[in-house]
Amino acid sequence: MDAQPDLAVVEAMNTTGLVVRNLVKTYRIGRRGTVTALDGIDLDVPNGSLVSIVGVSGCGKSTLLAIAGGLETATSGTVEIDGARIVGPGPDRGMVFQSYSLYPWKTVRENVAFGLECAGWPRAERDDRVAELLGVTGLSSFASLLPRELSGGMRQRVAIARALAPGPDVLLLDEPFGALDAQTKRAMQEFLLSVWHRTATTILLVTHDVEEAVYLSQRVYVLAARPGRVRSAIDLPFGRDRGPLVRRDPRFLDLRDEIEDLLTTPALAEEVAS
Amino acid sequence: MAPVRTVAAGRAAMAPPLPEVGEVGEVGRRAPVRGQRQSALLRLRGEISPALRLALAGAGVISLLGLWQLMATVWASEGFAVPTIGATVAALQELWRSGDLSADLSASSQRIAIGYAASFAIGAAIGVAVGSFRSVEAFVEPQLGFLRYIPATALTPLLLIWLGIDEAPKVALILLGTVFYNALMVGDVVRSVPGPLINAAYTLGAGRWTVLRRVVLPHSWPGMLDVARINLAAAWLMLVVAELLAANDGLAFRIIRAQRFRRIDRMFALLLVFGLIGAASDLFLRWMRNRTSPWSRP
Ligand SMILES: Nc1ncnc2c1ncn2[C@@H]1O[C@H](COP(=O)(O)OP(=O)(O)OP(=O)(O)O)[C@@H](O)[C@H]1O
Ligand SMILES: [Mg+2]
Repeated sequence: MDAQPDLAVVEAMNTTGLVVRNLVKTYRIGRRGTVTALDGIDLDVPNGSLVSIVGVSGCGKSTLLAIAGGLETATSGTVEIDGARIVGPGPDRGMVFQSYSLYPWKTVRENVAFGLECAGWPRAERDDRVAELLGVTGLSSFASLLPRELSGGMRQRVAIARALAPGPDVLLLDEPFGALDAQTKRAMQEFLLSVWHRTATTILLVTHDVEEAVYLSQRVYVLAARPGRVRSAIDLPFGRDRGPLVRRDPRFLDLRDEIEDLLTTPALAEEVAS
Repeated sequence: MAPVRTVAAGRAAMAPPLPEVGEVGEVGRRAPVRGQRQSALLRLRGEISPALRLALAGAGVISLLGLWQLMATVWASEGFAVPTIGATVAALQELWRSGDLSADLSASSQRIAIGYAASFAIGAAIGVAVGSFRSVEAFVEPQLGFLRYIPATALTPLLLIWLGIDEAPKVALILLGTVFYNALMVGDVVRSVPGPLINAAYTLGAGRWTVLRRVVLPHSWPGMLDVARINLAAAWLMLVVAELLAANDGLAFRIIRAQRFRRIDRMFALLLVFGLIGAASDLFLRWMRNRTSPWSRP
């Protein structure tokens, strides 16, 4: 049905993409205490793919994204993109943060334009690009408002438009649709898929919503908490050109339930049993 | 029509019936309410209307003036002389006509302007560095913590020896008396710039300088103006100390002169001037904050 080759095959053919190897992150808390947020994470996000990470709250999803974004340093292990090790932040990796990160003194338009200004785009091109993105995210008529005058979902769309504006190779999204109502969320999911189709951006998406992960991604990593480890990696059989109908596919429902089960049953019980 | 009636009939058959919309309770009994009703005036952080706000502010001013007038007319005695509002205003006019007041005003405000502008510039620079770089913070914090606790007023004799009795020691006292507070408080303001705002800028390709100029400073600006406003009061305090000890003009010097002639009305007139200048600069800085950073208006 789908001409899309299996992700594993893609990987074998080309080793490029975002590669996480044996990543460990330990936070110091207080004088002596430590928290191991990530404990030996291995992750592969082939170029042009959309991969999701799901896991319970506190399992280290945001930490992982921050390290991939170059905003946190790993205790040990590496994150590489196309063989180049990530040592700091850069405009090649756009991020959408879990908490609102819009500039409260900038209008919607100025927020979206910020990355383009940093990259030194000429005025006219910048305006065109911003207008295009505001159009796609449905924000055109709010371009002159300040973030505090927007609803939560609108703010999140501005954050996504801002991250997309400079055309990053990799998009790192930390629960971008978490605060949205069901309808807006669906629309944003379709929007993300269309962006992915058009731009061939590599997308790493963190989400709480298993259905969202299964619907959007080619692969889902399930993380276990305390310490954060990869519990399971599940490749999804749906092609890039999946439509909303795939949500009723029996395989879709089975995979969704399987991942839900992985999330709800504690890892410990499984270890004891085996 | 018919189905509606059926529904109504169906409902009537059930017990207890729901009241019709708009139905009122028994006559003579108050309609029951839930929750505790709170008056707008006494509610914690409750909003009040602008008109009420203005009225309360006016009432505040009038009650203060009333208290003053009461002291002047009822409690004042031989040893505790309090001039009436009228006498004070008359003394103020007299000072103004003699030309002393404008000379003193300009002398004092020049000292404040130079000393406090330097203090705020230096303090803000240190504060931005402290708030932006943990390394600077680690280096500077113990120094500020120590120096801040040396009362600047205790330095006056030293300043008079080092800098003579001209303008320099007065300006220096204003500077030393406020610069550490400005630095510490601006440091706090800059530190409170949310991390995601800074991180987002980095991931959008901004360098450190751009982040400082385009994210940290705009976000800190209203807070920095608040710091300037709050510490300005301390600058006036330092000015008075400096002028009391050694000066030939200035508002505080004029108070000392008035004391020599037991002109309590003049002393009150000058205190009034201090209060008015303070209130005016406070209003101005507030206005400027809201004007330049409308996004941060509460
Ligand atoms: N700056 C920090 N200092 C200390 N501990 C931290 C810090 N940031 C995260 N942690 C710890 O690391 C663990 C993982 O946090 P993280 O924010 O990555 O979780 P998450 O999976 O994103 O959770 P959520 O789904 O709730 O957003 C948590 O136990 C948290 O307490
Ligand atoms: Mg998180």
